[in-house]
Amino acid sequence: MNYVVLACTGLDKPEGSVAREVAILLAEEAGAAIVCPVVLNRTPARYKKALAEDRLIVVDGCATRCASKLAAAAQAKPVQKVLISGVVKAAGRALDPELRLGADALELARKIADDIKATGAAASKEALGAGQAPAEAEFESPSDFTVVVHEKYEFRIPLSGYFFNANDVWVQVAGTRARVGISDYMQQRLTDITYVDPPEIGTTVEQFGEVGTVESTKANFEVVSPVSGTVVRINEAVDDAPESINEDPYGAWIAELELSAWEEDRALLVDGRTYAADVERKAAED
Amino acid sequence: MAESTFMGVPRSKIPWAPTIDYDKCDWCMECDEFCPHRVFERREGDVKLVVANPNNCVVFCRACAKTCGPDAISFPDKPQTVALIKSLHTQEGAE
Repeated sequence: MNYVVLACTGLDKPEGSVAREVAILLAEEAGAAIVCPVVLNRTPARYKKALAEDRLIVVDGCATRCASKLAAAAQAKPVQKVLISGVVKAAGRALDPELRLGADALELARKIADDIKATGAAASKEALGAGQAPAEAEFESPSDFTVVVHEKYEFRIPLSGYFFNANDVWVQVAGTRARVGISDYMQQRLTDITYVDPPEIGTTVEQFGEVGTVESTKANFEVVSPVSGTVVRINEAVDDAPESINEDPYGAWIAELELSAWEEDRALLVDGRTYAADVERKAAED
Repeated sequence: MAESTFMGVPRSKIPWAPTIDYDKCDWCMECDEFCPHRVFERREGDVKLVVANPNNCVVFCRACAKTCGPDAISFPDKPQTVALIKSLHTQEGAE
């Protein structure tokens, strides 16, 4: 199967220049075809076949993640995503502000390209969570709701089976597994959700750590994890249709985790009834 | 108006807010444009942006830092903040 690479060509930040260099290395050394983000944005039909049939590697420069968003808009599923600013940070390094890459930045691009080549061959949609045995039956849909009414708004809150943190993120637990998503109140505050950046499978998350981000036409929202554990699945349906969070906030889970300290985590969460009182207070303060 | 709380702890007791590294900040104002909670305020003069309303910042949210190209925004350590909230939570509950 062929590779295509969609990379930030960012000409205003050195991270973009590194992303561009990584794309060139992958094209030269792994035969990847380059998807131009500008053309993709203007004329998505140009890459329709390649994005549907080939394995897509997305290389973002900075946290704005334009390349990821373009891929999502084109409904393309990357087999691998790399965020240059994240790699730089994780390595405890800093890039020179110059746009022309120095020796250090070139060496970094070389290492990232080598890592992609090494892991990319093994990456697959399965590795991203698709095709795993679904466990839908374990997580029951909520049936009993309370509704907080504030002015013209109505916020639904399930009264059983869900717990909430103070950051308006819910958790539903089944055995040692948990699903997390955002509450009806938060999705209404965010308005139209346009993009979900889920956590990577295999990531270890602490309680109150980040378990993805959600972006709307109005704001970016960091999904603050109500529980600690390891990400074992992501919800591809939400990835494909971010607006499903607006339509069904308690069904549209973002990530599934294998719990590591549920009893301890639970002590810092509230049930639906208590959360309803919190929502009433928050809505009044807005 | 009653003081706002986070997890039952008065917000003012939780030191969660961004810190701007003025050596890195290039005054692009993306963080200020992004944040809907009016944490930042623009100023005339050499320092053009300040953290004016730290208690407006949503505890554990670090989203503004992600908009920052020069990586000039930092936040307190999360585990330490969690530990602090847990201890304050216990105290508040006991009062």
